[in-house]
Amino acid sequence: MMCVSDTTEEQMTTPSSGHPLAGRAAIAGIGETGYVRGADESVLQMIAGASMSAIRDAGLTPADIDGILPPPGFVAWDELAAHLGVPDVRYTSTPQMGGASPTAALTTAAMAIASGVAETVLVPIGWNGYSALRPRPDAKPNKRRFTAAFFETVRNYYGPYGLRSAPWWYSLYLQRYVDLYDVPPEAPGAVAVAARKHAQLQPNALMHGRELTMEDYLACDYITEPLRKFDCCVETDCAAAVVVTSTERARDLQHVPAVILGGAEGHANPAHELTNRVDVLDLGLSRAAPRALGMAGVSAQDMDFLQIYDCFTHVVLLQLEALGLAERGGAADFVKGGTVELGGAYPLNTSGGMLSQGHCWGLNLVVEAVRQLRHDAGDAQVGGAELGLVTGYGDLGDGSIVVLGRGDR
Amino acid sequence: MSTEGKQIPHPTELDLEFFESITSTGALHVQQCDGCGDHHHPPRLFCPACFSGDYSFAEVGGLGTVYGYTVSHYTTERGWKDALPYVTIVVELAEGPRLVGSARGIAPEEVVLGLPVRVVPEKVADDFAYLWVEKA
Repeated sequence: MMCVSDTTEEQMTTPSSGHPLAGRAAIAGIGETGYVRGADESVLQMIAGASMSAIRDAGLTPADIDGILPPPGFVAWDELAAHLGVPDVRYTSTPQMGGASPTAALTTAAMAIASGVAETVLVPIGWNGYSALRPRPDAKPNKRRFTAAFFETVRNYYGPYGLRSAPWWYSLYLQRYVDLYDVPPEAPGAVAVAARKHAQLQPNALMHGRELTMEDYLACDYITEPLRKFDCCVETDCAAAVVVTSTERARDLQHVPAVILGGAEGHANPAHELTNRVDVLDLGLSRAAPRALGMAGVSAQDMDFLQIYDCFTHVVLLQLEALGLAERGGAADFVKGGTVELGGAYPLNTSGGMLSQGHCWGLNLVVEAVRQLRHDAGDAQVGGAELGLVTGYGDLGDGSIVVLGRGDR
Repeated sequence: MSTEGKQIPHPTELDLEFFESITSTGALHVQQCDGCGDHHHPPRLFCPACFSGDYSFAEVGGLGTVYGYTVSHYTTERGWKDALPYVTIVVELAEGPRLVGSARGIAPEEVVLGLPVRVVPEKVADDFAYLWVEKA
C-alpha cells in the first residue's frame, strides 16, 4: 500500500491548507443494516435503525443530535427526528444530487459544525432498492420514492428512445469514452473483479460467497453497450448512517475519529442534461476533486485507500481520472495488475462497494472508510491506513468527495 | 410508428415549446438566441452564451454526426422487446446542439462516432415528436 511517511497524526487533524473548514469536523459514529434482497423491515425502520446504531456507535443518544441531513427522498427529516426522539433540531438541509448526496452532506455537516450552527449532525440514507420493483407477496404497501429535477429531462429527451434508467442514460457518454480511448473490457472488468474479491471478506455483502473471475466477466452479456451486467451495481434493500461532530468533541467519544480534512461538490455544466456539455466526459468530480484535495493539502496519490462511487465500473474509471490518478483515458492502464485490489497500491472499495456489497447511495463507502481509519476493517484492513477518500456520483454526473484522515484521541 | 409500451412524455413549459415548434410545422427546430444567435438544447429561459432572455425556435436541417450512442441488448420495457438489439444515438447537429434519437436504417455494427447522419422528426401527438436518426 501507499504510505505517507512524511505525514504525522498531528498534521492529520491540523489542516495544512489553512482552509477554515479543513479538519474541523469528524465522523464519530457509523451504522448500517445488512445488504439484502427482500428486507424484513420497512425503509423507515431500516433508516431509523441504522441511524440509532450510528448514534450509539458514537457513544451518544438522540438528544445529542441537533442536525439532520436526509437524502433527496425515501425519508424526511421531521419523521426521522420524531421516531428517533431528537428533541431539538437546529439545522436540516438536503443536497439534491442523487447518489452524490450523502457524501456531499458530509461537507454540509462540516460547514454547519464549523460555523456553530449545529454541533452533532446525522447523515442517513436507506431504501428498498431491490424490493420496490419486486415486492415480496407478503410486503406491505410502500410509497417511499426518490426525486430529482432531471427526471423531466430524461422523460422528455431520453425515455422515449428505450433509455429507461441510469445504465441506458449513462451509456450515451460511456460508449464514447470507450471508443475515444480504446478502453478494453478488461479495464471495467478489473474494477468489477476487485469489488467482488473484497466482498468475499465482508460477511454483510450481498455477493459474499459468490466469486467472480475475469473470465466470468468477459463472458457476460451486455445490458446496453458498453455496460454488461457485472458493470452494474447490485440493487439492494439497505440503510446506513453516520454521525458527524466537531473534531474536538469526537476525540472524547468512543472511537478514533475519521477527520474530514477536505470536502467539496462539483457539477458538470449543464447539470440537468447529459449530452450537451462541451465535454461529456467532464464529471462533477473533475471540479470537486481539486477543491477537496486542496482543502486537505494532499493529493490523490497520498491515499492509503479509495472508496469510489461505483454505480457502474466505467464511471469508476472516469473518476480515477478526475481524481488525477490517471490521465484522460489512462485509467485502463492504472487498474491493471491488481493496483486497485487489497495488497495493491490503491485498494478500492474494500467492503465490495456498490458493485458487490450493496447500493446504499455511497454511504456504505463512507462507513467502510471510517472502519479503515479506525483500523477496524477486519480481513479487509489496509495496514496502517491514515488517509483515504470517498467520492459520490449522482443524477447526471454530479460529484462529491471527502478526504478523511485518522484522527487522534 | 407504434408507441405501444413505450414512454411518451407530456412535456410542459419550454420543452413543450420545443416540441410544438416541430409538430406545428413538421420540420426540426431548436432554440436559438435572438441576441447572439447561439443554438442550444434543451431550451432554456436565458441564453447560456450571452444571458439574453429573447429566443426563437429556428428551423435546422437536421444534418450532423454521431457524437455518442448505445446498443441496447436488454430492456425492461415491453414496447422495446421486439426491437432488440436497438441503437440510440446522440447526434451533434451542424448548428451545435446535440439531440438523442432512435437509429432507423443504421445497424448496430454500422454505428461509429463521427458517422454523418440526419435527424428526422415524426409527429406523434401535438405535444411530442419522435426523433429518428438516419444515415445522411
